[in-house]
Amino acid sequence: MNNFLQAIDTLTIKFALTAVLLPLLAFVFNFLLPGRKSKLAGWVSTVAILFSVVLSVSVFAKVWNTGHVVHQQVIWFTIGNTVVYAGVLLNNLSVLMLLLVSVIALPVHIYSTAYMKHDGNINRYFAYLSLFCFSMLALVVVDNLVLFYALWELVGFSSYLLIGFWFTRDKAVQANKKAFIMNRIGDIGLLTAIIIIFIQFRTFDIDSLFGSGNLMSYSGVHDGIWSLWHNLPINVRLIWPRERLVQLPSMLQYIAFGGIFLAVAAKSAQFPLHTWLPDAMEGPTSVSALIHAATMVAAGVFLLARVYPLFNDAELTILAVVGCFTAFMAASIALTQTDLKRILAYSTISQLGYMVMAMGIGAYTSSLFHLVTHAFFKCLLFLVAGIVIHQMQHIKEDNQLDIDPQNINNMGGLRKKLPFTFVVAVIGALALIGLPLTSGYLSKDGILIKSFEWTGGRSGILKVVPVIALLTTWLTAFYVTRLIVKVFFGELRLLHIKPGIKLNLSDGNWQYKLPLALLVLGCFFPLFSTNFLVYEQAWIFKGLPNAGGLERDNVYHTLVPAGVNILSILVMYGAYTIYIKRRNNPFPQKGVLFNLSFNAWYFDAVYNKVIVEPVLLLCRFAFWFDRRVVDGLVKRIAKTGIALSKLADWTDRHIVDGFLHLLVAIVKGIGNFARMFHGGKVQYYLFSMLVVILVLFILKIVI
Amino acid sequence: MSLAQALFYLMSFIALASAVFVAATKNLVRSVFMFFITLFALAGLYVLALADFVAITQIVIYVGGILVLILFAFMLSGKETLNAIAQQRRQFISLSKLPAILLAALFLIVLINMMLKSDADHLGWISLAIQQKNVIQPDAATTENIGVNLMTGYLLPFEAVSILLMIALVGAAHLSRKVALQ
Amino acid sequence: MISLTDFLMVSAALFCIGLYMIVSKHNAIQILIGIELMLNAANLNLVAFGKYDSLNNGGQMFALFAIVLAAATTAVALAIILNVYKKYKTIDPDRIDKLRD
Repeated sequence: MNNFLQAIDTLTIKFALTAVLLPLLAFVFNFLLPGRKSKLAGWVSTVAILFSVVLSVSVFAKVWNTGHVVHQQVIWFTIGNTVVYAGVLLNNLSVLMLLLVSVIALPVHIYSTAYMKHDGNINRYFAYLSLFCFSMLALVVVDNLVLFYALWELVGFSSYLLIGFWFTRDKAVQANKKAFIMNRIGDIGLLTAIIIIFIQFRTFDIDSLFGSGNLMSYSGVHDGIWSLWHNLPINVRLIWPRERLVQLPSMLQYIAFGGIFLAVAAKSAQFPLHTWLPDAMEGPTSVSALIHAATMVAAGVFLLARVYPLFNDAELTILAVVGCFTAFMAASIALTQTDLKRILAYSTISQLGYMVMAMGIGAYTSSLFHLVTHAFFKCLLFLVAGIVIHQMQHIKEDNQLDIDPQNINNMGGLRKKLPFTFVVAVIGALALIGLPLTSGYLSKDGILIKSFEWTGGRSGILKVVPVIALLTTWLTAFYVTRLIVKVFFGELRLLHIKPGIKLNLSDGNWQYKLPLALLVLGCFFPLFSTNFLVYEQAWIFKGLPNAGGLERDNVYHTLVPAGVNILSILVMYGAYTIYIKRRNNPFPQKGVLFNLSFNAWYFDAVYNKVIVEPVLLLCRFAFWFDRRVVDGLVKRIAKTGIALSKLADWTDRHIVDGFLHLLVAIVKGIGNFARMFHGGKVQYYLFSMLVVILVLFILKIVI
Repeated sequence: MSLAQALFYLMSFIALASAVFVAATKNLVRSVFMFFITLFALAGLYVLALADFVAITQIVIYVGGILVLILFAFMLSGKETLNAIAQQRRQFISLSKLPAILLAALFLIVLINMMLKSDADHLGWISLAIQQKNVIQPDAATTENIGVNLMTGYLLPFEAVSILLMIALVGAAHLSRKVALQ
Repeated sequence: MISLTDFLMVSAALFCIGLYMIVSKHNAIQILIGIELMLNAANLNLVAFGKYDSLNNGGQMFALFAIVLAAATTAVALAIILNVYKKYKTIDPDRIDKLRD
């Protein structure tokens, strides 16, 4: 039996690895494809991801809820006494994420083959898309923190490549730089946390730290010291002899939490590192759908799920508060935005805030459930946005207009022109708002109910958290309705601005419709639960650990869903009347609140002033320094060298050669003087002879 | 001061003055003619030195032969020669003669110094000659003395000089031949 | 009486004048005259000392020979000067310096 199980395990591992590595092969293939635009690229990537889906389903079926964790590793490298392993861990969380990522990636691939058809660089596009799929799939199955960090970075890097896909556009370049830099800040946090965990536990293995080994639960902060305060069980003690665990100051535990929090905030666009996500909409819409709505931004929540045992109560409270705040802030900003994709981006931030808050209040499973459902309906909404923008782009090109195809003020009445799109968009919107019969209802209400339960027994200020969460839900309802109404209902506002333009709008071919159809299935409740009203029946809850009881033990379980949904419907109707019936908009369009919302709470401006400008100033100073001082020093040395050489030249010319010339002149002088005696003049000869004789005589007389 | 001494000073003065004139003048003709006077004065000095034959020979040969020869040589040798000879370089001032003057003066000083130092009057052999009465008397027959000596003691130089004269004659004649035009 | 020293001094003076003429004159014939002057000065010297040699009469004999030789010298020198003039068209010894360095 053991051998059999082992054989099954090996097969499972093989399937999992194949599912992960197929997109990598597609990446390499597309990267090496000659030329820039080839239909083959799209189909290779799509086929690869299709196989990944099939294999993921198989792996999921083998591992989910069987109580059997598949974990295999090999020795990667050894430094001193430390051995680092590389391996695959397949527990419930891993296979759920594996399935989710591949299932969401498939429609996006199919959609991209049509959406990017006219682009000149689709080889590169599909290569990067496959690279991203590989990195995300690998991220969810690795078993140690080192590989996790490497793939975390790789996911961020793929995102950078895809956001800046149209790199000839300055805005795209700025956006991908911003995204990458903010993600790097998160990476620093994650690395710090990994190192601290390693110092304390001397292992990188996720399973032993947070999973079945559960080393985390044996340690805690006590009297300012972070150390073990339980007796380790025998099986653990065999691996980790007590002497190797140290007593560290508790500050390190808080720093580890801070690091994890930074990583989550960067990747999942939470406050304060959320400003990159709206700018990341500069990339192609299919990319936004896959990465920035459904999968990559969910990696932060996935990290939280992985390292959940690390946190203590205070840290969880911080998570809850930050998540709640982010959700509210993003929803308030989405109320006044006019760019279609930006509204969806802020909506993503808001829903991620929900997920983080859910982790904070202990609704671990609800958070992951919301992650799964959110992936479906947000991806769907983005693909719809892509189709709408595509059609607006057609109008713009056909009529040579100078409009922004993403501005919802130019849209309207599209439900008649794009009926299929309209239907799926409405379904996705309802799921986002969280009305009953949708999957979104199940996940979101789970979070809201738990948030009310959580406030019991906590200090008074925290009671405002669920209230704000509720408020955010109604704000969500409002802006989603606004979006749908402005885009699909009423009349095409563009016709009012520029009458007489030609319209040639259609839903698109099967490559557009099939992905939408696949995703819309995930917006309905049957995929997740047999009971559409009660969330605890969803099969996810049977697989994932729950921090609290599932019993319907208090009034919240009935009151909250009812109240939320009734008020949501009222809010939706109100939005409809405002934007369609054309009554005067009762909300002020000019005041402080409007400006605050429209300018995204001025975060970008503040960051620019406080962080970016000083850094640029530093750069300019460094450049000036390098130019003037360092180069100046070099130039001065060069000048000195030149001056010395000039001096040497002068010396050589005048002194050394001059000495020779002096010798020559002396010899010449003596020679010329001696020549005088050969003038050919006889009298001169006689004269010289007589002078000599005279001198002789005089000398004789005198001496 | 006896008459002889006065005559001696006069003769020497004339000789020296005319010699100075000969040296100083740039004009060749003038110097040749002043040389005449020098030679005559020298003849007088010879007489005062009790060498009357030498004096006569001097006048006959030197004045009458050599000087006339010089005169003939430049006066009869064509206009171009005369012009070339007559036109001396007049543009030089006497400063260029300074080295020569200096040389001559110094030589004079050296010679006089030596003569005074050697005290010629009281040289050994002269005192001996005076003692032995070997001095030529003013009334001696010098011609006879010279003739006897020439034929006995100085016969060889006599013959040699005659050969020399012949050689000189041949040489001078050859040197001044007219070169045949080719 | 005229002492020997007086004669010698006159002879020395004549000699130096002749020397001056040789060294500094720019005319070949004047140089010749200078040579004559020097010869005459030597003659005077000879004759002055010859007074004290009556037996051999060496002084006066030698003076005679000197005169004869001077004549021969002058004759040949003049012939040379005439030849030089024919070739170089000048008798300035400063101009006849073809044998220079």
